[in-house]
Amino acid sequence: MVLTKKISLLASFLFCWQVAAAEINFSGFATIAGGVTFDEDESLEGYDDNFSFDNGSVLAIQASSDLGDGWGVTAQLLARGSEAWDVNAEWAYLSYDASDEWRLLFGRQRAPFYMYSDFLDVSYAYHWIKPPTGVYSLPFDVFDGIGSLYSSTLGEFDSTVHIAYGSNRDSGILLGEERDMDFSDFFSASWTVNRDWLTLRAGYARADLVIPFSEFDALFGGWRSTITFAGIADDIELVDDSGVFASAGFIIDYDDYLLVGEFSTLDPGNNFFPDQDSYYITFGKRIDSVLVHFTYGADDNTSDFSILDGVPAGVDPGLDFLLASTTGLLATVQEDSSYFIAGVRWEIADSVALKLEYTDYQDDDILGVDASLLQFALTTVF
Amino acid sequence: MKYLNRLRSLTIMICLLCFSQIALSEVVVIVNPGNASALTEKDIKRIFLGKMKSFPSGGTILPVNHSASSDIRKSFDKSALGKSASQIKAYWSKLVFSGKGNPPKELPNDAEIVKLVSENPAVIGYIDSANKSDGVKVVGSY
Repeated sequence: MVLTKKISLLASFLFCWQVAAAEINFSGFATIAGGVTFDEDESLEGYDDNFSFDNGSVLAIQASSDLGDGWGVTAQLLARGSEAWDVNAEWAYLSYDASDEWRLLFGRQRAPFYMYSDFLDVSYAYHWIKPPTGVYSLPFDVFDGIGSLYSSTLGEFDSTVHIAYGSNRDSGILLGEERDMDFSDFFSASWTVNRDWLTLRAGYARADLVIPFSEFDALFGGWRSTITFAGIADDIELVDDSGVFASAGFIIDYDDYLLVGEFSTLDPGNNFFPDQDSYYITFGKRIDSVLVHFTYGADDNTSDFSILDGVPAGVDPGLDFLLASTTGLLATVQEDSSYFIAGVRWEIADSVALKLEYTDYQDDDILGVDASLLQFALTTVF
Repeated sequence: MKYLNRLRSLTIMICLLCFSQIALSEVVVIVNPGNASALTEKDIKRIFLGKMKSFPSGGTILPVNHSASSDIRKSFDKSALGKSASQIKAYWSKLVFSGKGNPPKELPNDAEIVKLVSENPAVIGYIDSANKSDGVKVVGSY
């Protein structure tokens, strides 16, 4: 008994000593952002007409250590102002360099959906305060699993193939409510090629998803109780559906000119969520330490009403009610919007940039409200 | 006439002085004399951007940098990498915070870089040409 205690004491001492001996590198990034909309009934990106400072603010500390023989460990702890500065592990992984070209990541990491996904929170790394939320809109952006990064040269191009497999069981906010989401069998593949001023990227992702919407349980139950049209419940519920996502983008960064475009399309599977097509295009020009940029983007989310085609109207009041509620739901989640962003990024010190952005958002839905938003951000890496 | 001639020679002298000034503050890229690799300007750029990880003759490359606030680093970023200091910082932040790579280690001065390069055939660095010694070999200059 005493011996085991002694051994475990020794073991823990040795472990601590080991940890102390390994060199740990700290780095981090921070963005302090604020914004205000121009009118009292306008809200956009979490901002309204009351000036708010915390909504877009982010602070992260990254600790990494080289373990030798190609192994490394990294944790990125990140706190968001919009989540009351609660600290979460955004990245937590072991990395293994199988060769100069091939790196494997095991653990929690970013899902490589978009061109700016990998450094989505690092505002210092790009020109906007954050990438356009119209395109960057999937309900999860990290996963737990395995990532494989293969870098090679193809003629004059540098090529990176990023394959990821895993799952995500975090909760997240969808349709205004915090929900327990379950994305399993997540697989993604993306390919990026780069040569001097040109970067091209294409990506594909799929996942099985289960997301409870308890507020619609009565609706799902209603369809099931009709027996004849029970299949409609499966067509609108988010249970055992598979979602498929694809994206493509380019960056031209030539001398003082910047041209960026990205397009994404999502088929969320057999449920009430609409198919989504989004894109944006950015033009920027550097003048000394200032970058002036303009972005135009649009989102088009279209519901498939044909799932209700076989249901007769005016036969049964119960059925009519289900029909009206479901049509209403499918109509509400549709979206037809566009936005224009004008912004500046100004390098005010060696690693501090000040950003200002004006967004003009136009919502062409029946109940849509247009909005204008002014945002600023101070952003740094350290 | 004589006065004009004198003015001309004075101008030439000033030009020469300016030129030697530039030559003096030349930045040279150095490796260990035991390293037989021939490197192009493009190779040097790729090495310091973390894209090229092995020498053409084999063996891992260990690039070392000056600290971001130093003048020599700013001039190297501009002339060899073709980017401003903040663009380089943004470039590395994309890699560091996404698990894709780490920037070269930073050393405080030319003397330490010369020392490390002369001891380790894997190391590549850059220094003011005035500070080079017999223990290192120049593979590029800016």
